Amino acid sequence: MSEPIVRLRGVRKTFWRDREPVPVLDGLDLDVPEGSFEALMGPSGSGKTTLLNLIAGLDRPTEGSIEVAGQPIHQLPEGALARWRSETIGFVFQSYNLLPVLTAQQNVELPLLLRRLPRAERRKRAETALRIVGLEDRTQHFPRQLSGGQEQRVTIARAIVNDPKILVADEPTGNLDKGSTKDVLDLLARLNKELGKTILMVTHDPHAAERATIIRKLDKGQLA
Amino acid sequence: MIPLSYNVRSLVERRATTAAAVLGIALVVFVLSASLMLVAGVEKTLGGSGEPDRAIVLRKGSDNELSSGIEIGSVPIIAAAPGVRSGEGGGLVVGEIVVVAAMEKLGGAGMSNVLIRGVAESVFRFRPEVRFTRGRAPRPGTDEAAIGARIAGRFRGLEMDRTFELRKNRSATVVGIFEAGGSSFESEVWVDVETIRQAFRREGMVSSARVRLESPAAFEAFEEAVEQDKRLGLEAMREIAYFEKQSEGTATFIRVLGSGISFFFALGAVLGAMITMYAAVAHRQREIGTLRALGFPRGSILLSFLVESALVAVAGGALGSLGALGLGAVRFSMMNFDTWSEVVFSFTPTPQTLATALGVSIAMGLAGGFLPALQAARLRPVQAMRE
Amino acid sequence: MSLAGIAASDLMRRNRLRTALTLGGVAFGVLAFILIQTVISAWEIGVTTAAKDRTVTRHKVTFVMSLPKRYVEEIRRTPGVKQATWSTWFGGKNPLQEREFFMAIGVEPESWLDVYDEVGVAPEERSAWIADRQGALVGDVLAKKFGWKKGDTVKLTSNIFPGEWEYRIHAIYQPLRKSADRSMFVFDWDYLNQSVPERQREQVGWITSRVKTGTDPAALSKALDAKFEENEVQTLSQDEASFQRSFLGMMSAILGAMNVVSLVILGIMALILGNTVAMGVRERLREYAVLRAIGFRSSHVTRLVLGEAAALGAAGGLLGLAIAVPIVGGLGKFLEENMAAYFSVFRLDPGTAGLALAIAVGLGAAAGLIPARGASRLPVVEALRRVA
Repeated sequence: MSEPIVRLRGVRKTFWRDREPVPVLDGLDLDVPEGSFEALMGPSGSGKTTLLNLIAGLDRPTEGSIEVAGQPIHQLPEGALARWRSETIGFVFQSYNLLPVLTAQQNVELPLLLRRLPRAERRKRAETALRIVGLEDRTQHFPRQLSGGQEQRVTIARAIVNDPKILVADEPTGNLDKGSTKDVLDLLARLNKELGKTILMVTHDPHAAERATIIRKLDKGQLA
Repeated sequence: MIPLSYNVRSLVERRATTAAAVLGIALVVFVLSASLMLVAGVEKTLGGSGEPDRAIVLRKGSDNELSSGIEIGSVPIIAAAPGVRSGEGGGLVVGEIVVVAAMEKLGGAGMSNVLIRGVAESVFRFRPEVRFTRGRAPRPGTDEAAIGARIAGRFRGLEMDRTFELRKNRSATVVGIFEAGGSSFESEVWVDVETIRQAFRREGMVSSARVRLESPAAFEAFEEAVEQDKRLGLEAMREIAYFEKQSEGTATFIRVLGSGISFFFALGAVLGAMITMYAAVAHRQREIGTLRALGFPRGSILLSFLVESALVAVAGGALGSLGALGLGAVRFSMMNFDTWSEVVFSFTPTPQTLATALGVSIAMGLAGGFLPALQAARLRPVQAMRE
Repeated sequence: MSLAGIAASDLMRRNRLRTALTLGGVAFGVLAFILIQTVISAWEIGVTTAAKDRTVTRHKVTFVMSLPKRYVEEIRRTPGVKQATWSTWFGGKNPLQEREFFMAIGVEPESWLDVYDEVGVAPEERSAWIADRQGALVGDVLAKKFGWKKGDTVKLTSNIFPGEWEYRIHAIYQPLRKSADRSMFVFDWDYLNQSVPERQREQVGWITSRVKTGTDPAALSKALDAKFEENEVQTLSQDEASFQRSFLGMMSAILGAMNVVSLVILGIMALILGNTVAMGVRERLREYAVLRAIGFRSSHVTRLVLGEAAALGAAGGLLGLAIAVPIVGGLGKFLEENMAAYFSVFRLDPGTAGLALAIAVGLGAAAGLIPARGASRLPVVEALRRVA
């Protein structure tokens, strides 16, 4: 196997609550091989989401180094980090985080606005992404006109529209019923297999975790 | 760039609080526009009363026609001065008597002063801009009067075919209503000069003499000639300068008052816009976090929220300006403190008043939106992960 | 712990920034309202503080035209008149500072001081002024503005009477009542009368009478006008308040506009308050539902919301008042010293302050009405389910 696409060394993350330090991650090392579909599990407060945020470049470690897709991101300045995220990471959130005032098509197109692309090209790519998630007939709907499963699929379309190497998903099925859960997991598995996306998924649900190729357990800031 | 439609639709989504901010700004812009339009109206009415090729001669030291007095014998001397355009039988000149009379305002507003001008028949040749909308000019030697269109119907007796008292036992009948290009002459009553001379005992005197000059450039020579003879004790002014001086005080007064009041109002409305924008930021924390997670830089978040509050401001500015334009039909009567008589003004919109209103509203929007936009730009992308 | 306590802690803790901004908005509104009302009452001061026992007689047509001086003697002989004096408007200007407006009048010194007893002059200055036909009595504010001192010789020009006029300042007066104009320039009418052309002599501008106790000024005014009805020059007599009001009448349009404008600021304040209260209520629907669920009635919720809104208005009003007092004080001092001809008295009236505060509280409560209805009518179960 090639170099790991995610490499964490001695990562420590401490939050401050009422002037008390609250250690969340405590000297964590992690290697994620490229093309894997990993599930991160663990009890509430174990630091799953914090870990995901650090890998996705949403947050910075208190200590330690993080290298993702060959880029050491713990020392990137704010603006460069934002650009890096837009090129490297696709986000799937538990509560979708679609902009309620934009249509499905506009939501998916949003990340493309950060690139110098002609309007027609942006449109074409957004349509392609929506076709991949099976929502080509819902492009002009607003989020509130969609079901939870459909909303999550729009989110996934938005995540892949920029063709990122890595998808991070925080409880992607947390708000979904059984049927939609299966659809979304199938879709993620397909993206992993067919398009070779590396997927990091935080989940509570053992059934969801089973779909992953690697399951990691996090407890008290340490990987078990 | 975050698309504009995102801002527009977000504003519509929270229409109640958006409306509150828009209305707040609209009210400020309304007050500001109204006062600017009134200033423009004052300047147009008084400033528009003068013509570049006319000069007015008063007694030296008196700055208005009401307190001025010139021996009637001086009038031919003035007419003969260099630079005066010649008409039939000598230079084009009118000697007029100006008095004020207290008349009862209609609508229970008490008494107020009306300027009465004693004019010769030649006045209509001298002021070709005067146009009768009803009736005709008063005949010389009669107790007939013509009234300006703007005071018609504002005072008791100042209506077509009605009579009013010039003074006790001396009434005059309105035989015509005239317009004069929106100038302050439209707030005057014109009666034959001899009638006024008798009624107000101004034997041997006129208040002022006006001349038509050969060209605006001829004024200097005319002024020098008229003021040279110290015994006459006369002072010549360009007619435009004479009226501008009268509008200056009133215009400054309204401008200072209007912009002072608007300033304090603006502070309130800016705070109102700020409340709305802070609420928008608080409400959309997760959306902003998501945009940041997707890779939008801080600058574009800042810009997006600034644009959003500018949109609120432009809507408010447009609404306020529209409301102020609705004042166009309102007539506003005010004292001209130089002649102690009422002049009727209108709210006059000009490109400048509109541009100022729009500019001020955008400035208010940016002022109110800046801190909230800064707060939005500072939100961290992990906000997207919070529930 | 009480409902009021809950409201107060909501305001203090929940969204401090929004509360602060709202208070600021209301405070500026109150400040603007007070400034406008103070300007209006400063202009109306002549009416509200006019002497009750004085009557002013002027030419029936306009005060710009003059009366024959013999009318003064006739008025003095009229029953009910204690003393009468006259003034002639001089239209004076200081040639060194032409743009400064002040009131310059020619009077008969002794009777004028009798009638205008709000003008306070030291006895020796008084006799010095009366003794010199070219003497002048000057208000303290005017003297300060032009840097004039007792003993100075000063020159005035007039926009009515040609030429330069020279005066010796013998007296500087202090106001004995706050309504007194502190920027007058008063000189002997004789000086003027002697210097004008023959046909302008023995003319006076207006005649002021002091009425004997027990005489009705209005009735006396009628009697005076009736007396001159058949003469060539008729008169119009008014009590001093009406006389002042007739000057204000000329500005009535501006006064009216300013009153409208002060309603506009109330509208802005109501918008700010209503917006804030509505936002707070929307965010707290669940809490209100919890209160309802544990047994509070919907009227409690109404009171909670209204109380909060009124408290917000009151606090903003007090803050506005706290800013307004020093601002009006400072501005008033400046205006009274520099623009006394326009604002002889510019002070915060307790009535205006009280009104502003009452309006702020009232607007707060009014702005809370709609959100309060919404909050109290929402079914408990739905509110509990709704995510704020």
